[in-house]
Amino acid sequence: MKKQTHFSKMKILLLLIFAPAFLLAQETITGKVVIEDTGEGAPFVNIVENGTDNGTASDIDGNFSITVSSLPARLRVFALGFSTKMVDVATAGDITIEIGESTEALEEVVVTGLATSVKRSNAANAVSSVSAEELAELTPPQTLDGALAGKFAGAQITRSSGAPGGGISVRLRGVTSVNGNSQPLYIVDGIYVNNNSISASGLNAVSGAAAGGNASNQDNPSNRIADINPDDIESVEILKGASAAAIYGARAAAGVIIITTKRGKAGKTKVSFSQDVGINRIINFRGQRQYNEDRVFDFFFSPNDDPILNERSRNAANLQVAAFVDARNSGRLVDYEKEIYGEDGLISNTSVNVSGGSENTQYYAAFSNNDEDGIVKNTGYNRKSVRFNLNHDFLNDKAKLSLSSNYIDSKADRGFFNNDNTGTTLGVALTSTLPWAQLQPNELGVYPDNPFAASNPLQTRDLITNREEVDRFIVGGTLDVSLYRNEKSDLKLILGGGVDYYNLVTTAIFPKLLQFQKISNGGLNGVVGIGRTENKDANYSAFLVHNYTTSNALNLRSQAGVTKLTFFRNTIGNVASDLIAFENNLDQGANINVSQFRQEQEDFGFFVQEELNYQDKIIATIGVRGDKSSNNGDANEFFYYPKASAAVNFHKFDFWKFDVLNQFKIRAAYGEAGNFAPNGALFTTYTNSLIDGIAGIVVPTVLGDPNIDPERQKEFEVGFDASLLDSRINFEFTYYNKTVDDLILQANIEPSSGFTTEFSNAGDLENRGVEAVLNATVFQNDNFDWNTGVIFFKNTSEVTRLEVDAFDLGAFGTGLGTYRIEEGKSVTQIVGNNADGDLVVLGDAEPDFQMTFTNNFRYKDFDLSFLWHWKQGGDNINLTNLLTDFGGTSPDFDDVTLDPAGVTPNGPFRVGAFRSGNATPFTEDASYLRLREVGLYYTLPSRFLDQIFRGNVSRFKIGFSGNNLINIFDYNSYDPEVSNFGSNGLSTGVEVTPFPSSKRYLFHVNIDF
Amino acid sequence: MKIINIYHIFIFSCLLFISCDIEDGRDLNGPSTGSISSDLSRGELQDAVSGILADMRTRLGTQVDAQAVAGREYWRFQSSDPRWTADLLTGTLDNNTFYTTAPYAARYANVKNINLVLQGLENTTESFSNEEIAGIRGFVNTIKAHELLMVLNQQFLNGIRVDVADVDNLGSFLSYEDSLTAILDLLTNAADDLSNAGDEFAFGLPSGFNGIEGASGIVDEPENSIVSPADFLTFLNALAARVEVYRGNYASSLEFLEDSFMVLENGADLSTGAYFTFSLSGADIANPLFFAKNSTGANARIAHPTFITDAEDGDNRLSKVVFREAPNSSDVIVPNPLTQSNLTGGFDVFVYESNVAPVGIIRNEELILLYAEANHISNPLEAVRALNIIRDAAGLDPYLGGTSPTELVTEILKQRRYSLFAEGGHRWIDLRRFDRLNEIPIDRSGDDFFEQFPTPANENR
Repeated sequence: MKKQTHFSKMKILLLLIFAPAFLLAQETITGKVVIEDTGEGAPFVNIVENGTDNGTASDIDGNFSITVSSLPARLRVFALGFSTKMVDVATAGDITIEIGESTEALEEVVVTGLATSVKRSNAANAVSSVSAEELAELTPPQTLDGALAGKFAGAQITRSSGAPGGGISVRLRGVTSVNGNSQPLYIVDGIYVNNNSISASGLNAVSGAAAGGNASNQDNPSNRIADINPDDIESVEILKGASAAAIYGARAAAGVIIITTKRGKAGKTKVSFSQDVGINRIINFRGQRQYNEDRVFDFFFSPNDDPILNERSRNAANLQVAAFVDARNSGRLVDYEKEIYGEDGLISNTSVNVSGGSENTQYYAAFSNNDEDGIVKNTGYNRKSVRFNLNHDFLNDKAKLSLSSNYIDSKADRGFFNNDNTGTTLGVALTSTLPWAQLQPNELGVYPDNPFAASNPLQTRDLITNREEVDRFIVGGTLDVSLYRNEKSDLKLILGGGVDYYNLVTTAIFPKLLQFQKISNGGLNGVVGIGRTENKDANYSAFLVHNYTTSNALNLRSQAGVTKLTFFRNTIGNVASDLIAFENNLDQGANINVSQFRQEQEDFGFFVQEELNYQDKIIATIGVRGDKSSNNGDANEFFYYPKASAAVNFHKFDFWKFDVLNQFKIRAAYGEAGNFAPNGALFTTYTNSLIDGIAGIVVPTVLGDPNIDPERQKEFEVGFDASLLDSRINFEFTYYNKTVDDLILQANIEPSSGFTTEFSNAGDLENRGVEAVLNATVFQNDNFDWNTGVIFFKNTSEVTRLEVDAFDLGAFGTGLGTYRIEEGKSVTQIVGNNADGDLVVLGDAEPDFQMTFTNNFRYKDFDLSFLWHWKQGGDNINLTNLLTDFGGTSPDFDDVTLDPAGVTPNGPFRVGAFRSGNATPFTEDASYLRLREVGLYYTLPSRFLDQIFRGNVSRFKIGFSGNNLINIFDYNSYDPEVSNFGSNGLSTGVEVTPFPSSKRYLFHVNIDF
Repeated sequence: MKIINIYHIFIFSCLLFISCDIEDGRDLNGPSTGSISSDLSRGELQDAVSGILADMRTRLGTQVDAQAVAGREYWRFQSSDPRWTADLLTGTLDNNTFYTTAPYAARYANVKNINLVLQGLENTTESFSNEEIAGIRGFVNTIKAHELLMVLNQQFLNGIRVDVADVDNLGSFLSYEDSLTAILDLLTNAADDLSNAGDEFAFGLPSGFNGIEGASGIVDEPENSIVSPADFLTFLNALAARVEVYRGNYASSLEFLEDSFMVLENGADLSTGAYFTFSLSGADIANPLFFAKNSTGANARIAHPTFITDAEDGDNRLSKVVFREAPNSSDVIVPNPLTQSNLTGGFDVFVYESNVAPVGIIRNEELILLYAEANHISNPLEAVRALNIIRDAAGLDPYLGGTSPTELVTEILKQRRYSLFAEGGHRWIDLRRFDRLNEIPIDRSGDDFFEQFPTPANENR
């Protein structure tokens, strides 16, 4: 991957060599560029007359010759891997220019401080990062989250829904919080970017999903990080645990995902255009049950001792048999699963970007439009993103301003899915809809009621709206000023700030025509819900960085600074029901329900860090962050998050004689980070009530704790990096142990207290795991390259202390399988009652291990790449089967595979298990092996480019790619990667009739001008 | 020199920055519970009382359904939650799922609402008069007694906690008998308070109580339509009569009935009483016991077939169920029975005819039946007279059966079954009181009856 970057830079370099061929020669400067330390000639270094496009490059020995228009001239000397140098030349003739190797330029760098980074070979943490190519160029992801899956060691990324527009859970090195935020912090170009999931107002009024006792988020919202356009991203770095993330202090316990967007480069203006066209298609149908007369009869007939009732039931069953036979014989049996999920969703992504600039000012401007229809009619996602990034150097390169701005307009039509208690979501309605139901609208467009469910899924699909619309600005900048510089030391001031502002409008419309909205069916006569969220997060920081190098090349870098963060959210939800005529305005309803949720928070922090680098041999860091926040019991109490790390590059020492092993580093790091109490944990706040028009207040179900402390994560990691055969093979191994102390638990409390749960700091947990990454250039010559990479990671967790009684959370109780927080047990264990009624461990959501395999092949102008992802183990609670069993529609209803006695078919077996409170059949292994990404590209060779486009096009690339094209799993539903409860918390991996996930086929054209 | 200056300025400004205070966060989304319990003001009083009355309805649907299913008044079908037709019919109950925990927690949450008011009343700096304070205390304690009785109805011999004011130090579980005694004590003390509460409460009551306005017989001066403490006392006495009948204290029960809003005469309005009201506006809730006719298996209440087959000919209370029928594909109206989990029924429960229909808390029909029961041993003829008022209203001929206690109990239970059908899960409680749970019809092999719900797991007994 790095190779390619290098090539493109080489191109610029070549351009620079040949471009000035027709210059009017007046004064000629000749000489040699040599490397500072060694005095060797430096080949292929650019020498440019400053402020012009006149330039040349040194030859293989470092010699060069440049003709300038007049003297004196200022030459700008630069090359990859070296610091840029300005040389003033007064007279023509021979000169020698010394350039120094840059510590930061060539090698990939990783973040180690709020104002600093180090090159990867000196890093003491296993920081994972991926580049633009790996992220989006192989196959364009719909949203950023999709782009991350399978590419990072230690990151378990789960899509909660197949609905277009995202919705994922990211778990870095295991579960880090039980009731608090468990999603990582996202930083884009230094800006804290909000990743809320906000449910649409009005959905729950229709689905009643939260009425069954589980108030979690089951409304299938997307999360807001989906707004970031993956095309704009230059690189993503993941700080997986506190040992690296301590620099972000009180918000970093779930890890930090640092995103850097693309920036312009000095030189010719580059225009890049790309267009993708493709389709979405369901990965996997569950399939249809094979019906026959007996099966239909058995399903509907229930024997009764009362002869009259018995006869009545028999007649009703016979009527169904007749309807079935009639439909079958006239070919009117409908596969409603295909009818609903069988669409091919069209994908069209267009993106244009222009970048370039002068030496002092570079820009990157991009526009993209992503349009994607889902596999269900009337679902889809559209995102328009405009980005403008600007870099400007001034004060003789002493000051550097870097701005980034992004406007996003996104719209997602999410359909109506997941759990409900009213039988109305598409998924739940389908579970009991039999193929001889006639649900198509008549010639007048009137949909018949579904005799087998509360909703006609075709009607629901066609008539409802569940839309999220976002208008969002993400704007920020940093100003980097060199205050002072001499040979031994320098001092920089770095100021930064950013704002993420968005307006989210959710619209839910359930017209009165719907089967379940008709008053005669007990409906609300139409529901409209409009939710409006204004969110503004801002961050400011100021840092001083001081570098000091001693005579024996010991470099000391100190930094100190302060940060301030403010967060503001205001969500207003309006739900109107009993609508007038066919109006959808809120004021057209007889009953209007308003809700409002506000959140404001202010954090202050400081950060100091000292880094020591002894000749790149020993690198050590020690630092501390202090944070205080209005979200703590005492707003002005500082919480301190220390960190310390060390890395030793053995290969840099003189004693190192193993030439095969050209790099060997041992590293260790320790750090602490915090996690705030979730909203409301500090307070016991009345909720409002209304009876007979009189407003009132009632106690909430959750008892707050005003003295609650933030959770504290302590992580220790140790590992080594090794490179063999001139870095053709690279291997990284890391072991980590991270504990979370003072877990904030929303634990059960005796319900007679008036509350159901209470917040308290009542436990500790521990995650341990290993991560191994292997990259190898297997083969490399002019015509053929083969690079391969393997990632392996594994995590195990344990609740090490629990002051409250063990408690269940995150699912539907022990009769169906539930998560359970219990001392000495895995945090993600799934427990339930077995056939004997005993509470036993049924599974664990934590995978045994995960592996990914990446391969890139290049043969001449063809590139083939693919990414396999293997998740071994990890269980789900799958309740879709049970619901289809109740409806008599499970594809395996009549198979006999579950009953140990080999007698009862699966459908009745699962229902029977459920009736007797036996949760065993509902926990399923969710292992999978999936071809996440595959892409085949052809780049037009330059000789054709010139012929066809007459030199106007610098690159022309076409190709095909796909996501999830091959999926191998034994899991008994659409996809083992699923989450009924959205992205937060423990309860990913619970399935209740989700929006099925899709595979994508895409064709690409990419033209650079 | 210059550098040092920059350092100094920077460090100084950082220190300034760090040391500046930030305000403690506060909850922006509602008042804290402490605001009531630390000092109850007049303005908050109405909010708190209204909250208590609104909260009485929380999870009412779950409680009534669970008890009604236990007593086989009807089956509750819900395709997305089949525990209704599993656990509640087999009698294998879960101590940690919604039918056990939800009504229990909802009632105790309201007890908490009440305790916070009582605490606030002790700490109040508001200038409430003694009469007002007595009124508030008497009123909320009456509601508290009702809520505890609701819990006890489900918990039965498990007993319940009565003293739950201190979250960190909950009182112990009392036996069933002691719990009933404690509830009656609450009512007795509340009655004392109400009789010292003057002419008017310091707060308004919702329209669900309009039915008992004037029931005390004390004429308002000037005449108004406001429920006075004395009127409310008749409601308290009705509840106390229910408690005493449950305890078998028939004599005491008769005294309470005497002072209740009971109207014991032919043609009396049996629906007079106190009600929960519902609406669809704002934070209000809809009647949770209403489903439309011909509802699908997604959510339905199907009358138990024996409710129809056991009825006497001409009993107009059969209008509480509606025969399910719907047009077939050729638009001919045909029967439309509903089957779920091997249970088939042809009649929908249709006691509440809209989603805003009120639900009785206690009403005259029950009081008359309590009166019959309280007399059935000591004064069988008076019992028969009361029963005949009910039978007459139901369009039935006077009772001609025997007047032995056993025979009368059979008749009383039958009338209660039809009169209070689907209103509060009475059937199950009534059969239990007379040790007749074995009369519950068993529909499927493996089904069974049960006599009480388990104590919720989280009570950690």
